[in-house]
This record gives sequence, C-alpha cells and structure tokens, in this order.
Amino acid sequence: MNDTTFHEIISRYHSPSGRTLGILRDIQIQEGYIPRELLNRVSVELNEPVSRLYSLVTFYSFFSLHPVGEHMITVCMGTPCHVRGAEKILETLQSLLQLSGESKDGKYSQTTQDNMFTVEIARCFGACSMAPVLHVDGDLYGYVTPEKIPDILSRYGWKGTGISQSENRSDAR
Amino acid sequence: MTEGPKMVTVTINKSQYRAEEGETMLSVAMRNGIDIPHLCYEESLDPYGACRLCMVDHVTCGKRTMMTACTMRAKEGLEIMTDTPEIVKYRSTLFELYLSQAPKSDVIKKMAARYGVTKTRFLKKIVHDDPLGGKCILCGLCVRVCDEIMGGSAIGFINRGPSTVVNTPFFDENPACLGCGTCAKVCPTHAIEIEDQGDTRVMKSWSGTRIKLQECPDCGQYFVPKAMLEEIQSIPDPGIIDELKTLCPACRAKEIAKSVFKSTFQGSVYHG
Amino acid sequence: MTGFVGPIETPEDLSKVREIGLSKLLNRPRIAVGLSTCGIAVGGERLFARLKEIISSGGYNIALVRVGCIGFCKEEPIVNITIPGKPLVILHQVSENDAEAIVNAVLKGGVPDEKVLCKVSSWDHITRTIIYGTGFEQIPDYHDIPFFSRQTKVILRDAGFINPEDIDEYIAVGGYQAFVSAVSSRTPEEVIDIVKQSDLRGRGGAGFPAGLKWEITREAKGHLKYIVCNADEGDPGAYMNRNEMESDPHMLIEGLLIGAYAIGTSDALIYIRAEYPLAIERLRKAIDQAREYGLVGENILGTGFSCDIQLATGAGAFVCGESTALAASIEGKTGRPRPRPPRLTDKGIWGRPTDLNNVETFCNVPVILTRGAEWYRGIGAKGNTGTKVFSLVGKVENVGMVEVPLGTTLDTIVSEIGNGGAGGKSVKAVQTGGPSGGCIPARLFDTPVDFEHLNEAGSMMGSGGIVVMDEDTNMVDIARYFINFATSESCGKCVPCREGLKHTLLILNKVMAGKGTAADLEMLESLSDTIQATSLCGLGQTAPNPVLTTLKYFREEYEALISEGT
Repeated sequence: MNDTTFHEIISRYHSPSGRTLGILRDIQIQEGYIPRELLNRVSVELNEPVSRLYSLVTFYSFFSLHPVGEHMITVCMGTPCHVRGAEKILETLQSLLQLSGESKDGKYSQTTQDNMFTVEIARCFGACSMAPVLHVDGDLYGYVTPEKIPDILSRYGWKGTGISQSENRSDAR
Repeated sequence: MTEGPKMVTVTINKSQYRAEEGETMLSVAMRNGIDIPHLCYEESLDPYGACRLCMVDHVTCGKRTMMTACTMRAKEGLEIMTDTPEIVKYRSTLFELYLSQAPKSDVIKKMAARYGVTKTRFLKKIVHDDPLGGKCILCGLCVRVCDEIMGGSAIGFINRGPSTVVNTPFFDENPACLGCGTCAKVCPTHAIEIEDQGDTRVMKSWSGTRIKLQECPDCGQYFVPKAMLEEIQSIPDPGIIDELKTLCPACRAKEIAKSVFKSTFQGSVYHG
Repeated sequence: MTGFVGPIETPEDLSKVREIGLSKLLNRPRIAVGLSTCGIAVGGERLFARLKEIISSGGYNIALVRVGCIGFCKEEPIVNITIPGKPLVILHQVSENDAEAIVNAVLKGGVPDEKVLCKVSSWDHITRTIIYGTGFEQIPDYHDIPFFSRQTKVILRDAGFINPEDIDEYIAVGGYQAFVSAVSSRTPEEVIDIVKQSDLRGRGGAGFPAGLKWEITREAKGHLKYIVCNADEGDPGAYMNRNEMESDPHMLIEGLLIGAYAIGTSDALIYIRAEYPLAIERLRKAIDQAREYGLVGENILGTGFSCDIQLATGAGAFVCGESTALAASIEGKTGRPRPRPPRLTDKGIWGRPTDLNNVETFCNVPVILTRGAEWYRGIGAKGNTGTKVFSLVGKVENVGMVEVPLGTTLDTIVSEIGNGGAGGKSVKAVQTGGPSGGCIPARLFDTPVDFEHLNEAGSMMGSGGIVVMDEDTNMVDIARYFINFATSESCGKCVPCREGLKHTLLILNKVMAGKGTAADLEMLESLSDTIQATSLCGLGQTAPNPVLTTLKYFREEYEALISEGT
C-alpha cells in the first residue's frame, strides 16, 4: 500500500468512535490481509500500542494476518446453511482444492499450494434464503450443491481433475 | 469524630460487618477472614469479574441471585451468602474447568483441593509448547498491570474464545517491554518465567524478550532494567535519586519501585 | 437524482419534495427490480443491466430503478411494474431473458402475463397511502397470495416499493414527516411519552421498553450522550436488519433522529457488521442525502437541534451484540464484555451515557409518531405490541422475510405463511433466537410468538431468526452446531464460557461419533447449568439453551446415538 492510499484511509475517520476498526477494515479490504508493516504504521498514526492492535486483529474474524490467495472463497456456516448442507460444501472444497480442515488459532483459513484460492468460513452472510451460500471474491452463489462447485471454481481459473469431481458426486446426497 | 468514608453494615453468612460504602464485598470478606476464592482480583485495578470463583449469593427480599463478590459494592443492608449448596456446586465445576485448563499449576491444585476438588472430569489441556507452562488461567492481571499501571503495553490477549493466549504481538521479542517484571509479580499461578542472565533479563514467557540491565557502579551487581532506570532518573525530582544513593543495589531497586509506583500500584519491582 | 435543491427549511419544503417523489413513483411507466443482497445473488443485477440496455437503446420513456426486497425470497428475482393509473404488478422469478418481454409489455401498457405473481391497487405505507390505480382484473390481488395475506407490514412498509437510494421516494410515502413535526412542534418529553405509551419493546431480543430506556438516558447525568443503533445482526439465520437497511435506510435514519432529539444528543452512531457491504453503502448514501436536505447536521429546520450520524463498522464478532462489548468495539477495543452495572445508559461509549437500540426498534418510531400510540397498541398483543419481522429459513417451503403481529402462533408462521416443510417433508422443530435460543418441537407450535411465551418454551425471541428443521435434521447435530458457534464466538474472558463451552463441544462430538455414555449426558446437563449460572455476559448465560432444549424435547435422539455406540 502506498503512502497516499494509507493516508487517505486514515483521513476517512475524523471521530475516534469506530476509527480503529474502520481503518483496519479498510486495510483488510484493500490488501486482503493486514500486513505487519501496516499494523506498525497504524500504531504510530493512532498512538496505539502494537499489542492492542494485534489483539484486535486476532480477536475479530474479519481480519487476517496472512496473505491470501488470488481468489477468496468464503463459505457461509450460518444455521440455515448448516441444515441445508454447508458442511458438505466445505468438505467438497477442501477435497477439490486439497486443503486441510485444521485451524490453529480458531479462524479457519487455508490457501492452496499454487496460491490460487483461499478458503475461509463465515458465520452468516445474511443471505439465508438461498442457503447454502458461498462468496467468491464478492460474488454470491446461492443454492450451492457439491456438484456445482467444480463449475464455480472453474470460473476462477481452476483446472481440476475429473477424478475428484466424480468422487464427490458419488457421496453427494 | 473525623471525616471519613461513610460506613455501612453488611451481612455475610448471617453475621454483620462494618464496611466502607462502595467497597467491594470481596475486600470486606477478605478483611474479616471470610474465605472467598478468587484469581483475577487485584486491589489496584478495577474489578474485572473474569475468574467467576468469587460468586456469592446476593440475598434480596428472600430471593437469591448469584453475583461476583469482586464487582459487588457494599451498601447499607446488603446481604450475601458465600457457601450455599448452589455456590459450592458451581464453584466445584469451575475448579474442574481450571484443573483441566492449567494442569501444571500447583496453585490451582492446592486451591481446588481446599474446596474439596481434587480431580477433573474434563480432558486436560496438552501443554507441551506453552510459553506459560500450562499454568495460565487467563485472568488478565499481567496484561492489565502492564497496560494500565506500567504503561508498557508489551503484552496482550491474542485470539479469542478457547484459543485465547497472552503474549507479545506476533509472538516476537517486544522492545516495548520495560522488563519490570510486574506481570510475574501479579500472576496468581506463577506462570510467567523471567530469568536474569548476567547483564540481560530474559522474559522467557514473552517470546524471549531481552532487556539490558544496569550495573551498579559500586558492587557490580545488575539490578534494574537500564531503560527503566533512565526513565526514573528523568523524573524531575532529584531528591529520590540522592536519597537512594546510600542504599545497596537490592534495596535501591526496591525503593525506586516503591517510591515511583507506590501511589498507583502496591506491588514492587521484580528482581532476581 | 434528487430534484429539490438545498436544505429543507420548512414543512412546506417537505411537501414540495413529496410531490417530486410522488411523480417519480406514479407519473411514468416504471420498472423496479428488487435488488437487495439476495436479489443480486440470484441474477438481479444482470437483469437490471439488460433492462437498462434495452430501455436506453430504444430511448423509451420508462423509468428503471432499484428497489429493496419485498421479502418473498423464494420467488426472487422480483420485479415491480407501474403503469400510470393501473395497479402495481409484482413479477416473480424473472431472469435477464425476460427483460425484452417486460419492456415490450410495458410499452403497450401491459405486463408479461407468464411472470405475474400479483397486483397491488393501493399500498398502505402507514405514513401515507399510495393509490396506484385500477385494472388488470385477471391478475390475483396481493392479498390473495397466502404468503402475503397473513402478514402485517409495519416495519417492511416500504420495502420493495421505493428506491432506497432516493430520499425523495421515502419522503413521497410520508417519510421524515414524523421527524419534522417532532422537532418543530413537540418537546422531547412528549416524544418519549408517546413511545412509552405505545408499549414498544426493544427488538434486539431482551424486549426492554424502548421509551423507558430513552427516558433513563435523557435523565442520566452528563452533558454529552450517545444514541447508538445496534445493526450488528449476528444471529446466524437472521437477516431482517440487513433487509431493512438495504430496502429502506431512511426509515432507520428517521427513527434514529427522533431518538436523538428525544434523548437530547447530537451524536448518533450506527454500529453495523462488516459482512453487510451493501447495507453500509446504502446507509452512507442515505445519510449523505439527508445531510444535503438539512435533515442531518447543524440546526435542523432552524430549530436549534443538531444531530450528526456516523457509521461504525464491526469486524466479525458475534459477542459485539452484547451492549458493553459493542461499546468497547466502537472505542476500538476487543469486544470483551464487562460486568454490569454500570449500564450503558450510565456509562457507555467513552464513559458517556449511551442509549442502544436495535434497528427495528428505531424503524417503528416514525409510524408510532405518525399514527399515535393507541393505533400502535392495536397491533399485536397486550404487553407485546406491534409487529416483528422474522426471517423464515431452513427447511421450509416459502423461505422469506415475514412480518406478523406479536402473538401470532408458530403454526401460522411455519404452516400457513411458510407452507410447511420444504419439498413436502414434515417439520420437526424450529429454532428461534439464534445461538442463544432453543429448539421448539412441532407439538408446541401453538406457542404464540412473543417475548414471554418463547422464554417459557426454553427459547427466546432473539433478533428474529426462525430456522425450520425437518424430519431429516438430527437435533444433536443442531445442538453441536450451536455450541460450536458459541465456542468460537466466545470472547474468552470468563472461564465458564471459554472452557465450559469447549468441553461441552468435546462431549457433543463424542456423542455424535457414537462414543457417548449416559454419564456424558449427565455431564452435559451439569456443565450447561454451570455455564448458564456463572458466565459473565449473555452469550455464555444463554449459549447452553440449544443443548438444554434438545435434551428436553428430543432426548431420544441423544439416547439413540448412545445405544448405537454401546
């Protein structure tokens, strides 16, 4: 992020109410994550200790401290999505993109080896009527089924093998 | 009669006690030798209410509601019960949770045993690479003294929920650490490890942050973090420094700490 | 976009704007595409773009606008057509391929028959009635559609009808009238009194009387105060507030302004979750438009009353719906609740007295002031006045946004409005109140939906999500789902919530894996009891509810898993 963008973001917030999280949110949206160097700059700019900012970015799930892949896939895990099979969607993504299901710090975020995709989960987009739903780079897909996932992924340049597709087709309800 | 705080009468376990109005009920009980377990309370800080061990029954019009004694303020006629069967039941489950969270803490083991809890039904936390040695119960005292009293803000809570830990940002050495060791002093479970190695203090629990110590020009002992001493010396009150010149390093360290922080904080500077 | 220039300074100016807005709604053929987040997701934007292309290339005299969502999510994308003098016609399941047919029909003064859902001859916006016209005899009326006929639209009065990005249209349907007359002809005390008399209860979940909260904040010591709208809709399965803000942002702003006037503050804040980018954008626009018209800012209508509205965004933490955590979050801290008292009304944001109300609470205020407390009390039940918007989701046939008077039974909502289980399956239970709520079995569907009755059933109102479960849903899995949610959303401050929920989850995993024992069920119960009784804030105190209600109503499902395992 260049100086101009950084200062433009800082200058959007005049009042202290909502400023810290607002600035961090804008950085997250702009960069896709919170680079350590920017966190240090925000610390200087707002006169807030780095430890407090670090607490914030690890507390709130909107922030990520690690660079993400080219395309960001967010799977909604809200209740309606859950009862309509969100877990299957996540499992299918994990198997197609060969990602592990682990999360170390309580936030699920996994990036493919080729850095093409990052998969994250969200608590609820509020698009419950179309459950299950997922986002890819801000495009919302509703009524998702495991069968539809290869097609969605290929719109973003995924060149998966047919094997994993048929495997998933067989265990889809 | 001298002007003082307004005194009130409160009832604890059916006995009456005098208390200052607004004083926490935990402090009233402690002063009168009534045992209420607690882990996150520290007189010099605002009540935090996180450890939940000091929950007592608050009796109003025959009705009981559970509240933490550390956040309950004394007022005329206030009545609490500290050992009802409900309190004992909930407290026991809480102790079990503590035993599973901090399986290496002798303090927790002893405290739980005092209340009759010697084992836990819950899975014990695996602690092999925990910088706090499986003893931290996340009471937050270290974070709060570092931030609110010492002004260092070197450590903080990281993550949330069951993933919460206390450490330095990015789990890296933090130059903001003063090396004062107050965190270790207030830690109720002695989880924080600090070691002085020659002219360096190593904050082992805080990502190995290293702090340069000041050597005593007289006897050669390292006695206080350099940066901290410089800061203290910059306080425009040479009286303190002059007076301390006559003391040995160990006592000097103690006295510096006392005179500077007495007004706000009752602990003393960590040494050795 | 707006036709009136400069600030509104008198009630007459407001009338002028109203005329401008009315002409936009009625004076020329108009195609309105429902474009809330879900409408966009099912292809609404592509449809809009196609319509735009056809209309502009043909140079046709047809207005094309974005509107919010009428709530019948299952039938989206939804399009409204207005031909001057004729009823407004609602089209359903429209795709970009239908664009041509729509435009052609409108050019002939008609509608594409195969896409028609129903017609609206006149619409009661409550703050004003809009008469569209007569005709289209063959088209069923809005009130003939079962999904709509059992609903009472008070909060969703404008949703799907007006352009949320055009303040003139909000003013056309009677918007800002309540605020303008409040600041120019009523005292703050009178405003509070009307809200108190309406018996309006907070729609955030706890149901605290809204007027009383305003009065307490007004009387709290301190010169500087805050009024805050809680738009951090965190319950999974609840999206009413998103829809309200996306469809009718000025309704919220007007309610907030009236609240600010009543409390006596010029600092208003909307705390909104970061996951709602479209709602944030539309609110920003709406605040800017209101500022341009002088309805927000300094010396509003020359009355001496000033009020600015700021947006503060959350960053993904369910616990920030808790009032003290929300205040901490606005101050730029982690959302860890602190013990109460002191309450926010005494010591809120930056230590100043703070009034905090839910989006929907504010949305009710303009109509209460316009139509009076007595009119409002006529809706709903005694002690539970007014309507509530629910998101009816999960395994139900008619998924959507449903607004009914409080006291309506679950059966009416699920069976009549929702038309029962999706795909004809039988409904087993509903989950209300989000992670804090509980599961209510079908045999208790005669429960009236109000604050007290839901509590009695072991659940709660929460913000208004109703998730339907059918015969295929495993209730132990549902309990585990919610505990998993609560565990990862716990702030981690107090031990019963942080550690207790973690162990509850471990036990539920064990039971789901078929490795549970009877002792595990006992442990679940005692742990749930402890978490409920000893947690610091509402999150922990209510988090065991899904476990406790499923153990109570569906114990056989737990036992089946246990006997399978042994």
